[in-house]
Amino acid sequence: MPVTRSWRDPTEATLAKWLLAPAFLLLGLIVVYPVGRLLVTSVYELSLTSGLPAKFVGLDNFAMMLDDPVFWTALWNTLLIVVVTVPGSMLAGLALALVANMPFRIRWPVRLALLIPWALPLAFVGTIAAWFFQSEYGVVNDVLRHVRDHKIIWFNSGTLSMMAVCLTIIWKASSFVALILLAGLQTIPAEMYEAAEMDGAGRLRQFWSVTLPLLRPSIVVAMIFRTITALQTFDIPATMTRGGPGNATTTLAMYIHQTTVDFLDLGYGSTLAVAMFVISMAVSVVYLKQIRTNT
Amino acid sequence: MIAKIGIAAALLWATAASAETRLTVFISSQQRPDVMRHAFDKFELANPGIKIAIQSGGTTSELQAAYLNTVMSAKDPTLDIFLLDIVRPAQFAAAQWTVPLNDQVGDVATLLKSYLPAYADADTVDGKLVALPAFADTMFLYYRKDLLAKYNREVPKTWTELAATARIIQQGENNPDLQGVSFQAAAIEGTVCTFLLPYWSAGKNLVSDGKLTWDRDAALNSFAMWTGLVKSGVAPRNVAEIATETTRKDFQAGKAAFSVLWSYGWQLFQGADSAVKDKVGVAVLPSTDGGQPVSCIGGWQWGVSAYSAHKEDAIKLVRFMSSTETSKQLAIEGSLMPVFPSLYQDPDVLKAVPWYAYALPVVTAAKSRPVTARYNEVSDIIRTQTNAVLAGSITAGDAATQMEARLRRVLK
Repeated sequence: MPVTRSWRDPTEATLAKWLLAPAFLLLGLIVVYPVGRLLVTSVYELSLTSGLPAKFVGLDNFAMMLDDPVFWTALWNTLLIVVVTVPGSMLAGLALALVANMPFRIRWPVRLALLIPWALPLAFVGTIAAWFFQSEYGVVNDVLRHVRDHKIIWFNSGTLSMMAVCLTIIWKASSFVALILLAGLQTIPAEMYEAAEMDGAGRLRQFWSVTLPLLRPSIVVAMIFRTITALQTFDIPATMTRGGPGNATTTLAMYIHQTTVDFLDLGYGSTLAVAMFVISMAVSVVYLKQIRTNT
Repeated sequence: MIAKIGIAAALLWATAASAETRLTVFISSQQRPDVMRHAFDKFELANPGIKIAIQSGGTTSELQAAYLNTVMSAKDPTLDIFLLDIVRPAQFAAAQWTVPLNDQVGDVATLLKSYLPAYADADTVDGKLVALPAFADTMFLYYRKDLLAKYNREVPKTWTELAATARIIQQGENNPDLQGVSFQAAAIEGTVCTFLLPYWSAGKNLVSDGKLTWDRDAALNSFAMWTGLVKSGVAPRNVAEIATETTRKDFQAGKAAFSVLWSYGWQLFQGADSAVKDKVGVAVLPSTDGGQPVSCIGGWQWGVSAYSAHKEDAIKLVRFMSSTETSKQLAIEGSLMPVFPSLYQDPDVLKAVPWYAYALPVVTAAKSRPVTARYNEVSDIIRTQTNAVLAGSITAGDAATQMEARLRRVLK
């Protein structure tokens, strides 16, 4: 006679399914459904300013995107921000973490100083930085005045604006990197350094042979987070330069926001968002592979 | 007994709740909510049972538009009426976000004739009355009466004259911080007007009947005119950073001989903390050489939300707010320009704001920015390229080419 189990006494497999169901449901609601809707909308012509109902247009929106100079500018700017600010904030963050990990007698002021940039809202940072780099009243030009005669009008030049934006992002992001790396540094046992010292390794050698290899997992985690957030850069350039001069500092996320919220072109906006989604996924996959082969 | 009292109380509460209608009005903190409140109080007195709440936000036209776009595309019923910049009714009509008012205002033609023509035009889209005028605005040339008198110069009629006069003043004053003229070239809505002023002055239109009527020479001349002012030192090198409020503050601090600005500057220039109190004159903006004087029209419209739960009361309120009575009150208390031509000669109004006596021809001659449902895109294209040219990060030729190409995509 086959054993019939009541619902009160499920097999382990059934129980597992039941217990995982809420998590899957949640994921479905907040990830699968929106992404699915996005993909669907991206093949429709749907603009609230047209007064017309949504119309299926296949891949027309994607063709339009490839033909759109602003898309390419925004994509290039976004990649530039990734390439400059990810290594920039990693280096600055590592330096900060090493400083914060030094055996100070009172540690909290250093830790607090590390936390402050991280705790500031991005839009605040962008607004503050806009004033920092403002040509007439900004602190940066006030300092530079002592070394050069002519004031620099940062936001008149695409290159200088991009530099100012990148510097601000590095400043803001390095404290986040430092926090993760600091946590990593503290898991390295002191004995490792003692052993290295016994073997005659100097401070620099210790850093290369002990600190960096053992910090690797934390570095990878920080890199992943940093790269993804850099790809999604929005707040700082939006509040600092509004993407200007021209479109010199417009990022892909800003262009998506502008297309959907300002221009109310939901179809094309979704197409742009799909492009960004694909790029983010590709980067994540590369990183995840990297982790898997290394652990 | 207790049950009866309970039922009676419930009935009373229900009638009280249904008797009171709450209307929520969206206006920006820059549009004088204090003055608007007085008008709302009057309306509440005359219409017991209606209470009006102000929701304010977004200090610039773009920020307000972005906010309204999110609220309205979510079909949110929170807002009952809102103020719309003159460039927006076409978009709101296309998205069907406002209630058409044709059947609500009696004889539409007579009503529209009473307003300044620019507003009657802006608020009528495809024959539908989609909003009602709230208050007018336009760009003026503000000048320093004292400086013109000191150097014995006339109010300039052309931009070339303005540049010459400004140079004389700047050299005479020998003050490196004194700007000849302050105008806006940051990537903001006002910069669309900056680009269009010389373009229009040359007698060209950018859009006619929804079609692009691009004139490359007029565009290049516009860029050349503004960059010329920067190169000759009449306008500051950082014009690409200058937004409306920067112009207002600089002129008010006595840091500019001329400024191109909306009407709201006047009252602030006469304030106690103004460095230029009683030293300011207002005139129509200069023309290009051989062109005609022209200004850029602004101003605000009352729209009734299509998602309002109290459309009937909201329409009543909007009608009250765009009446002669309210327009007069807004002019006197807040120096918000009237939308009725007749009020520019009204003795009470002129007593409060004497310079309105000269303002009517400027407002009447002012031109409208392109009327299209996709105005936000048109605006972005114009201001982004103008900003880039004045920043010096792109040549005028390249900017004109890109502007035309992008405008053609939008105005197919």
